[in-house]
Amino acid sequence: MDLTDKEYVEHCRDGHPEDFGLLVERYQKPLFSYLASRVGDGQQAEEAAQESFVRAFLSLKKLRKPESFYSWLLGIAGRVAKEQFRAVAHRQRDREAAETMMTDATDSGKEYPLEEAIAALPESHRQVILLRYYERLSCQEVATRLGLPLGTVTKTLSRAYALLRQELAAREGAEPTVNQTQQL
Amino acid sequence: MNCAECRDNLVACAEGLLDREALLECQAHLEACAGCRAEYKVIASLQQRLTKCGEAAAEVSIVAPVMRRVLLEHEEKETIMSRLFKYRWGFGLSAAAGTAAIILIAFLVFPKAQATAAEVMTKGAQAVAKLTSIHLRGQVRSAPADNFGSINPDSEFYAIELWKQFEPDLKWRVEKPGLVVVMDGQSTVIFNKSRNVANKRPQPSSSAFDTDWLHRIANLGNTISNELNNAQIKGWKLDTTEETAANGRMKSIVTIHAKSDIPENDYVKNSFFDNADTRRVYRFDAQTKLLEAVQVYLVRPSGEVLIFEFSQIDYNQPIEPSVWQLELPADVIWIQEPPKLPDNEKYASMTAEQAARAFLEACAREDWNEAGKFMSPITDRMKEGLGGLEIVSLGESFTSKAYGGRFVPYEIKLPSQEFNVRVSNTNSAKRYVITGIYSTNLQLIQDLKWTNAPEVLPNNDAYAKLSPAQVVTACMNAWIKFDWDEMRKFDPAYDVEDNIAQVKEAEKNGMDVHIIFPVVQVGEAFWSPEQSAWFVKCRAVQTKKWNMAIRKDNPAGRWQVDGGM
Repeated sequence: MDLTDKEYVEHCRDGHPEDFGLLVERYQKPLFSYLASRVGDGQQAEEAAQESFVRAFLSLKKLRKPESFYSWLLGIAGRVAKEQFRAVAHRQRDREAAETMMTDATDSGKEYPLEEAIAALPESHRQVILLRYYERLSCQEVATRLGLPLGTVTKTLSRAYALLRQELAAREGAEPTVNQTQQL
Repeated sequence: MNCAECRDNLVACAEGLLDREALLECQAHLEACAGCRAEYKVIASLQQRLTKCGEAAAEVSIVAPVMRRVLLEHEEKETIMSRLFKYRWGFGLSAAAGTAAIILIAFLVFPKAQATAAEVMTKGAQAVAKLTSIHLRGQVRSAPADNFGSINPDSEFYAIELWKQFEPDLKWRVEKPGLVVVMDGQSTVIFNKSRNVANKRPQPSSSAFDTDWLHRIANLGNTISNELNNAQIKGWKLDTTEETAANGRMKSIVTIHAKSDIPENDYVKNSFFDNADTRRVYRFDAQTKLLEAVQVYLVRPSGEVLIFEFSQIDYNQPIEPSVWQLELPADVIWIQEPPKLPDNEKYASMTAEQAARAFLEACAREDWNEAGKFMSPITDRMKEGLGGLEIVSLGESFTSKAYGGRFVPYEIKLPSQEFNVRVSNTNSAKRYVITGIYSTNLQLIQDLKWTNAPEVLPNNDAYAKLSPAQVVTACMNAWIKFDWDEMRKFDPAYDVEDNIAQVKEAEKNGMDVHIIFPVVQVGEAFWSPEQSAWFVKCRAVQTKKWNMAIRKDNPAGRWQVDGGM
């Protein structure tokens, strides 16, 4: 039985920073995927992911809704990605080119980042999606990991797909934003 | 199957979870119903998109580097907090409550065997609930002056000790023969005895300078939560056994099979405690519940090697105040952050390879001012070792998951030294043996007189047939292999003993003797009428092929040589 994001956040705040590792473990892959879709480069995405986690840890006390940790993390990651582009522009002395790069990368395919839609899911649904697709477990393995019947996992997946579709349908085509960024 | 039933089964169908009968029914309905078919396509498309995202991130593993930074940040914050709020170290009431919660979580989360392991460890922490100090003594396989976290299964064992006082103030000391770090409650200082260099953090710390993994063992309450957390998120196996010791006392043994998240082909895999696949064995006395010993085995495909153990653990014993004092030599060299240079940009814009080349070229021309821009401090011993080197090759740099800098492969040749070896067979065994080392113009450098005549060997004839050059070659081969018995057949016993002592000293100083010892090229023999003796021309050549660790995460943003020299 995994603990919730809220519980892990509270543990970290209570002087157990090692619990932050469990949050990193949980979200490192979707965060990387999200950043890779924005910056378009694996190495930069990994660096940005590391930086985002560290900043999140340092600001953990400011997080008003611990249960929204993942959405909040995506907001931080969005800012880190922008800073990374600015740094590239500065190094290249060609801000315009870098801005173009960022626009191209963030608008690629005009698909709303799945990870933001995943962030909007209820935590129990999000957990199943992350384990199934980012940890690449089979439904049976997800069931074992979470101590749930297989049928509950497939039903949760089914509901999660429906919610993801709603979220994507509502947002795709719109400028991607993360609502929770103002919490910092 | 109607539409509602079909849609209930769509995910199970897409996941291949339906039995044959239900699958056929579902497929038949999908063929007949355009609405459900469209729904199925949408789900499949979403699944594909999710699968693609998951696959792109499959290799990502950043827990270790993030947590290193996080714990470092936490440590600094904790230090400030401890001063402001008189933070109490050790196991107080809240810690006891915490460990009870861990048992509960363990029973909920883990199978029975693992929950039992958690229970044994938790009771071990509770047994020392009023811990005021701990002193751990043991041994580790790594060079005496090497990092505390480094391990080398091919090394001898060297002593390692950790003293930790939790109350009234936190103080600690960790020591190996060549390296010591002391946190005296005010600041933290590390001293490398062999290099005579020191580094200081002007604040107290709960752990620093690569000692974190040792503190994780010493802080028993956290050891449990750390190991259980890892077991949970990384799927590490825990198990417990009981055995009867020689004195008849029962022991509870908890074993943790830890897998590093560093890829197998990573350069630093299994070089440091935190990057290694290990089997950790915690031994508790079943009656007192106290932790009595810890052993860590490196687990490799070729087998297991014991790399570390704490075999003596003293709880709540008074610690001499002198333990918290660190006497440093007057000429100790302090490590400092590299300053910004007037032409800093020139260096900051270099690639790792360019910086490595610039550093080695500066050493080659013995321009120590320039070399010092890439490495600080450059000690006299380094100047002696690297001055006049010749670059053979420099490769493309590479990274490691566990290192914040880059590694640059290099091969250098150090200046060769020529000398002559005198040999003589005017002894009762009638075979050539070494009797002295001479310069190229036959000035005596080292006299190697035989106190006792060379012994007649069981296979003496074979050795008696060797020419002067063959004898010197055989002796040098024995030397380079540290085959001291073979070397004694050619070299006086006292000189062999000196060589053994030198090797031990080098190892004590943290040197890899297999890399630093030169290769001696043996040339032709010649007769010297003036000396009435045979001499063999020799040339000592030292080639070094290794990976330079180099990083630029410093305020000046310049590449700094961090190791591998």
